[in-house]
Amino acid sequence: MTIALTAYVLVWPVIVGGVLAVISRGFFRELRAAKEEGRPII
Amino acid sequence: MPPSQEIAQLGIVVVIVLLVVFYGGTMLMTLGIGRKRENADGYMTAGNRIGFGISAASMTATWIWASSMYASVTAGYTYGVSGPIHYGLWGALMILFIYPFGKRIRAVAPRAHTLAEVMYARHGRSSQLMLAGSNVLGSLISLTSNFIAGGALIAMLSPLSFGTGILIVAGGVLLYTLWSGFRASVLTDFAQVLCMLGAAVVVIPVIFFAAGGPGMFEAGVAAGSVTPQQQDFLSSEAFLNQGAPYIAAVLAYAIGNQTIAQRLFAVREDLIKPTFVTATVGYGATVIGVGMLGVMALYLGITPLDGDVNNLLPQMAATYLPWALLALAFLMIIGALSSTADSDLSALSSIVMADVYGQSVGKDKANPRTMLLIGRITMIVATGAALFFATSQFNILDLLVFVGALWGCLVFPVIASFYWKKVTNLAFTVSVVAALVVFLPVRFEWVSLTGVLALPIEVLATVGIGVVLGIMAFGFFGLRVGVGVGIAATLAAAPFTLFFLRDYTVLSASLVAYAVSFLVCWGLSVRSKQRFDFATIRRLTGDFDTAETPVAEAPAEDDSSRRPSDGTPAHARD
Repeated sequence: MTIALTAYVLVWPVIVGGVLAVISRGFFRELRAAKEEGRPII
Repeated sequence: MPPSQEIAQLGIVVVIVLLVVFYGGTMLMTLGIGRKRENADGYMTAGNRIGFGISAASMTATWIWASSMYASVTAGYTYGVSGPIHYGLWGALMILFIYPFGKRIRAVAPRAHTLAEVMYARHGRSSQLMLAGSNVLGSLISLTSNFIAGGALIAMLSPLSFGTGILIVAGGVLLYTLWSGFRASVLTDFAQVLCMLGAAVVVIPVIFFAAGGPGMFEAGVAAGSVTPQQQDFLSSEAFLNQGAPYIAAVLAYAIGNQTIAQRLFAVREDLIKPTFVTATVGYGATVIGVGMLGVMALYLGITPLDGDVNNLLPQMAATYLPWALLALAFLMIIGALSSTADSDLSALSSIVMADVYGQSVGKDKANPRTMLLIGRITMIVATGAALFFATSQFNILDLLVFVGALWGCLVFPVIASFYWKKVTNLAFTVSVVAALVVFLPVRFEWVSLTGVLALPIEVLATVGIGVVLGIMAFGFFGLRVGVGVGIAATLAAAPFTLFFLRDYTVLSASLVAYAVSFLVCWGLSVRSKQRFDFATIRRLTGDFDTAETPVAEAPAEDDSSRRPSDGTPAHARD
């Protein structure tokens, strides 16, 4: 039970890290594309 | 042994430096996108062409507000291991369940700015004002709540007072949002999401191991700090008191919150699904993860500072984190409340610009420069009003309940208006008012849910379960499945809800609101002769500011997406 609870507590920061990576990759792609096209990102 | 009640402070210099770096940094970001002459539509929806990275960051950052972190920690502390799930999971599903409707809304009104604006085109003034009014109240309450959270945090972690804290937060948010509006709000959301999610990744495991690691669970049970219900992943107590009322609110908050609608209208249409799915996972994991701090506090036998469970999050951070990580946790909460506060300001300005000014003077007569001025004045006035509410003894909780109920009453009429040609303005208006009239006495217990009154209310609440689940199923699978799920859910729930729900007034009241608005709206519409042409909405909801094309302009569309010169509302043309 202790192992399960530990995993239960620690799995969330791992998922958050994954989402952060996905969002960051998307943002920097858009930033690069905007720079190449000479326009503001938004 | 629980730790002592004294918590470490960051100190006045550190807190001020952190706030200057945070708000100064966000201000610098917005300077990069500033324009000498801002575009009125860009100020409200950024040209309807935002990419995935910014929009997903913005949806996530906006939906995670300081109160959601505090509430999830409270749920973990109160209900144990399942508490954060019953807060964060359902909150996350709010984002997910709105996306199929979001696709429909964008298809019908691709260049709108607010949902209320679309309701004006669909029905007329009364429906628009109901939605806009509830949006304004909701955003103002959210703004106030975020200022209060910021002031309380600064007061707890530094010698600065609560009043000084809310002034700094309000000033900081207004500073970077005022000039570029929504564009500034969504761009800075990326930096804020980096703060929030980055801090969550580090802070949660560090506190866990600093507080004793896996050993805390056995020790907590041995010390008698945790009840069997609190150890149960399938706790009925957590479901009935926390989860179920929240499920009922899922659609209401998604429909009633202009910050969501604004991002729906801003994101590139083909990116709605990945944006909303990413935000669902991001919100859920972050809020549930932060809620684990409440679970840890429970097992550790910690008593909240001053008996206030809202102090648990900063208390856990200040107790177990080293100085540098406490600063990071501080930025996490400041990021959460600032990202939502700037979204609230943008939402409020859009509603006043589009729904109050734009619709009252008439489409093509609206002056974009005047609109921008009105938008900026709205932000200043809203900040002042939120500061007033934050420092007065005004009970914002009661107001929040009222607004939440109003949103619940609006869900079926709003969604039906996007799909069903027969829904009339009369059906919309009467159904919302009728639902509110039945909701209020039940929610505030003006009538006792005993005797002859209890059973009809329970019957309505049971129908409400069918309405909520039916709408959710309809969004993903269409009308036939939606109706089937609605009927099946009502019949399946009846044996369990009748003679039972009377003890759960919060849940019953929310469900009754759905049921009454559905029954009245359906009853008044089913025999209606109206056959509304949805193409009218596209024609009536378009750009206000066509003098200068926004940089991120959408590809040219046919003229039907622009506003007509006569400005005649849709309902008047039927």
